[in-house]
Amino acid sequence: MSTTATTRPGAALLLRAAALVAGVVAVVLGFQWVFDFLRDGEANRIVIVLVAIGVGVCGVFALFWAMDRVVSWLPERGAESVRPYVYIGPALVLLAVFLLYPVFNTVLASLKDGRGQEWVGLDNYEFVFTDESMLRSIRNTAAWIVVVPLVAVTVGLVFATLADRLRRGEALAKSLIFLPMAISFVGAAVTWRLIYSYRPAGFGSNIGLLNGIMIGLGRDPVPWLSERPWNNLLLIVIMIWMQTGFAMVVLSAAIKAIPGEIIEAARIDGANELQVFRRITIPSIRPTIAVVTTYMVINALKVFDIVFVMGNAESNETEVIAERMIRWFFISNHDGRGAAIAVVLFLAVIPVMVWNIRRFREQEAMR
Amino acid sequence: MSLAALPQPELEETRAPSADVVGVKRGGWFVRLTILAVVILWLIPAAGVLITSFRAEGDVDATGWWTAFAHPTSWTLENYRAVLDAGGFENALLNSLAVAVPATVMPVAVAAFAAYAFSWMDFRGRHVLFVVVVGLMVVPLQMALIPILRLFVDLDMQGTFLGVWLAHSAFGLSLATYLLRNYIGSLPSSIIESAKIDGADHFTIFWRLVVPLSVPALAAFAIFQFLWVWNDLLVAYVFLGGTRETRVVTIALANLVGGRGEDWHLLTSAAFVTMALPLVVFFSLQRYFVRGLTAGSVKG
Amino acid sequence: MRFPRWMVLLLTLTLFAAACGGDDDDDDTVAGSASEDGGTEEPAEPAEQNENTGSVNVLSAAEPEEADAYNAIFDELINDGADYTAEVESSGSFEEQLQIRAEGGTLDVAAVPQPGGVIDLAEAGSIVALEDLGFDIEELNATFGESFVALGEHNGKHYGIPSNINLKSMVWYPKDDFDAAGYTVPTTWDELIALSDQIVADGGTPWCVGFESGGATGWPATDWMEDIMLRTAGGDVYDQWVNHEIPFNDPAVKTAAERFGEIMFTEGYVLGGAEATPDIAFADAPLPMFDDPPKCWLHRQASFINASFPEDSEAGVDYDWFPLPPIDQEGTLFAGELTVVGTAGNRPEVVDFLKKFIGEEVQCEMGGVQASSRISPNVNVGPECYANEILAAASEVLTTALKEGTGRFDASDLMPTEVGAGSFWTGMVDYLKGGPESLDGVLEDIESSWPA
Repeated sequence: MSTTATTRPGAALLLRAAALVAGVVAVVLGFQWVFDFLRDGEANRIVIVLVAIGVGVCGVFALFWAMDRVVSWLPERGAESVRPYVYIGPALVLLAVFLLYPVFNTVLASLKDGRGQEWVGLDNYEFVFTDESMLRSIRNTAAWIVVVPLVAVTVGLVFATLADRLRRGEALAKSLIFLPMAISFVGAAVTWRLIYSYRPAGFGSNIGLLNGIMIGLGRDPVPWLSERPWNNLLLIVIMIWMQTGFAMVVLSAAIKAIPGEIIEAARIDGANELQVFRRITIPSIRPTIAVVTTYMVINALKVFDIVFVMGNAESNETEVIAERMIRWFFISNHDGRGAAIAVVLFLAVIPVMVWNIRRFREQEAMR
Repeated sequence: MSLAALPQPELEETRAPSADVVGVKRGGWFVRLTILAVVILWLIPAAGVLITSFRAEGDVDATGWWTAFAHPTSWTLENYRAVLDAGGFENALLNSLAVAVPATVMPVAVAAFAAYAFSWMDFRGRHVLFVVVVGLMVVPLQMALIPILRLFVDLDMQGTFLGVWLAHSAFGLSLATYLLRNYIGSLPSSIIESAKIDGADHFTIFWRLVVPLSVPALAAFAIFQFLWVWNDLLVAYVFLGGTRETRVVTIALANLVGGRGEDWHLLTSAAFVTMALPLVVFFSLQRYFVRGLTAGSVKG
Repeated sequence: MRFPRWMVLLLTLTLFAAACGGDDDDDDTVAGSASEDGGTEEPAEPAEQNENTGSVNVLSAAEPEEADAYNAIFDELINDGADYTAEVESSGSFEEQLQIRAEGGTLDVAAVPQPGGVIDLAEAGSIVALEDLGFDIEELNATFGESFVALGEHNGKHYGIPSNINLKSMVWYPKDDFDAAGYTVPTTWDELIALSDQIVADGGTPWCVGFESGGATGWPATDWMEDIMLRTAGGDVYDQWVNHEIPFNDPAVKTAAERFGEIMFTEGYVLGGAEATPDIAFADAPLPMFDDPPKCWLHRQASFINASFPEDSEAGVDYDWFPLPPIDQEGTLFAGELTVVGTAGNRPEVVDFLKKFIGEEVQCEMGGVQASSRISPNVNVGPECYANEILAAASEVLTTALKEGTGRFDASDLMPTEVGAGSFWTGMVDYLKGGPESLDGVLEDIESSWPA
């Protein structure tokens, strides 16, 4: 390498630019080729699966690595201010395309009529807040978002704490509570419809667990799913059953992360278990409790299939906001109303988000 | 800058259950009884389904499943045979795999980078952006289906694996980022600081330091996402399709069950067949998060 | 830092696999790909609006076994020798998928059970007019009867081809026990009531009724209403009711509902009582008829309930049917499907498939499918095509009604979906649970829910 000092940087930059362009072209062509292969209906399915996995796994990493490299080529100060955006970039792009864009679409649709053709201003919103079924759904949803997080997080927390003490069988116990999360929604629906199953006299014996208990106690079987207002509670139980495992697992990891010395010190100082729990465990994992609770609230806000599948929600008075949205949007084909209900859902999450912002600010101030 | 210069985290052994530490017995009968009671309560619904799936059609219809124990000879594998014989599952299984694995790895990777940036990098708008990311969790994905479908049709991505991966990744990204940021943000800042002082760049810190320490959180989320994608029906149905060629396992099973509201013997065995793989995955990987590795008590 | 070595390895292997494992076929197949027995290569020449992709996807709410049976027929009669493969896709969430695909622009063909839904889709511009596809409406009118084809009309163009029809005005009964008990088939409404009274006097329960159907609970009750409405008010008033030229709480409607209540609420008439009917699955409802002795004797339901009867029961021996008797007028209530073509389906092979599909040969073959309870709306398809003599007899009734224009389509499927698939259903459930006094309130609620 006998080039002079002055021409080297220029040549290096040119080389880099060329390499970059060549690299991009190669990658794009390569991916195009691979994806055409994946779409091929004739190819061996197993090979497709393996290729799919390979590409999926490597692709993302390669993307970040490449972007990070490119950023490093920039002058230093510029690089460091751009780099964070590179790291959050793909996430933001994905979310913007798949979630944010539909949100805008939905807001626009909510101001139009049922077929999406004419502007009707706030008519759909008026419907949302005056229709009897809608008001019921708002009331019911309020019940869901209070009861589900309360019970799931409490049970999850207590269970995680107690399981932590087990000498053996901790993993098994936790796994069994987590089990309902592994069951698909169809499986869960089958499970609980069997439990709540009802047959009036003459149509066969009752094979549902709850009615079996009722008969065992000498009483008449009850059509649980249409028995107001208990049916709401019974549906809420299904969600609790499914979600507590999640809460428990996340909280358990957080509990394990509490340094052992602090707890031991407290015990040596004479604190009993309840005091340890209240004064040390809970405060230490407060951020995690907040995260889990937030997730539960949002999930309860969005609940739809559980209510939709278990009978006619309107007659049973078990409507919830998201179920109404699906019904108006997809069954009654009224895009405007469905969209307006969705927007109400978006707005309902704002208080939760505000609370979260405050928490982050506090957390970072402490760091 | 060599790797040896980086502060190596000393990983403690799993923090031992409290029972062993001080001489006093902590895991007493109260604890065990409570745990047992809760576990039994939780298992009863699933047990009902499991038992029903092994009973003959006539029995299922005539008596409640709790009576099955009195007649152990009437148990049968017929229902499972009927479900599996209906066929078309091999393809569906492969499709499910081809969808689920990348659709799990992608959001975990993307969210990990984003979570790291939100936790340990300073830039304008980080709070607002983060809250927006988390807030998008509330968007019901049914609202996104039609606009995205139109977009895919324009881009000719309809019916492709890439389309489903991106869709699943996007739908799972909010929760992933939220959980991972919480975890990564709670790593001791001292480690990150000392690595920076030693001259490590962000990518290295992320890849060599933060990721290994975050394995429990990453594994936990990966399992949630895998279960969710595997059990998903709607997204795969809309973006990949429902024909024999393209459908995933959940669709194949829902199709099998069809409108048979009361064929409990078939419904229950079909439900258990869907659960089989997720359960296997879950049980084999549960040690990564159910016990919880230590990151929190890292020294150095 | 450097790219991890193991990832480089993985990526290389992946690319090799893609290179070696795949075909060099560049054609994309849009959702609804070629069938497993090796669909032929697509010719690249453009025709009409879109190119021939080699496949036709028909979205249907039929049960999976039915769909499989039809696919077998298509393979034999249509796909063999054609340059495309047609496949019926049976969907458990039909309405949802229909709307998603129609609005999303990926719908080929769909068999829609609600003409009201067809009009909605036409308004939204998600489906293609038959005239634009090259169909001759006069020919269709001759094949299916003008009234049926007209149900898919919007703004002067037609959007749906009749593809299925089922008879609704049927009362099923357990023939062997019925005859043995000395009962006779009633030919008027009064005789029907008298028969019910007699059964009660003999210690039995005459009627088995069930309206539960998941999210669609209540629809069988609307069938009762419509059947009765036809017989008390007649075809013209029925049409006015459907088109909202009379309000839902009009005295004519109330009279029909009261007649309905005559059967539902009379003590001892209905097994389990009226309040229990919304909790009994409609497919389970007729089963007590097959007990020995029958727990009930009469079940009013459409022809497709046949598929839910016990497998070992024999038509004409264990069970049979008689038409729901007239009250002040006669009437035949039917329902069916209109097949529509989505914007993605504007292709030559789709049209070709449809023409063959509605032809006598395919329709007759489809009638021979045991798993199916389908009756062909093609008036040229005779009763000999049906594997099931019940369906054959029903098809004769329908063909006459179609040719003469005396039948009426299920009203709830024609009304706007807010009502027909919403308030009418829930209103009926409320009526049954609330009893006769709740009728006025129920009718008012349904009336006020009618979109302006």
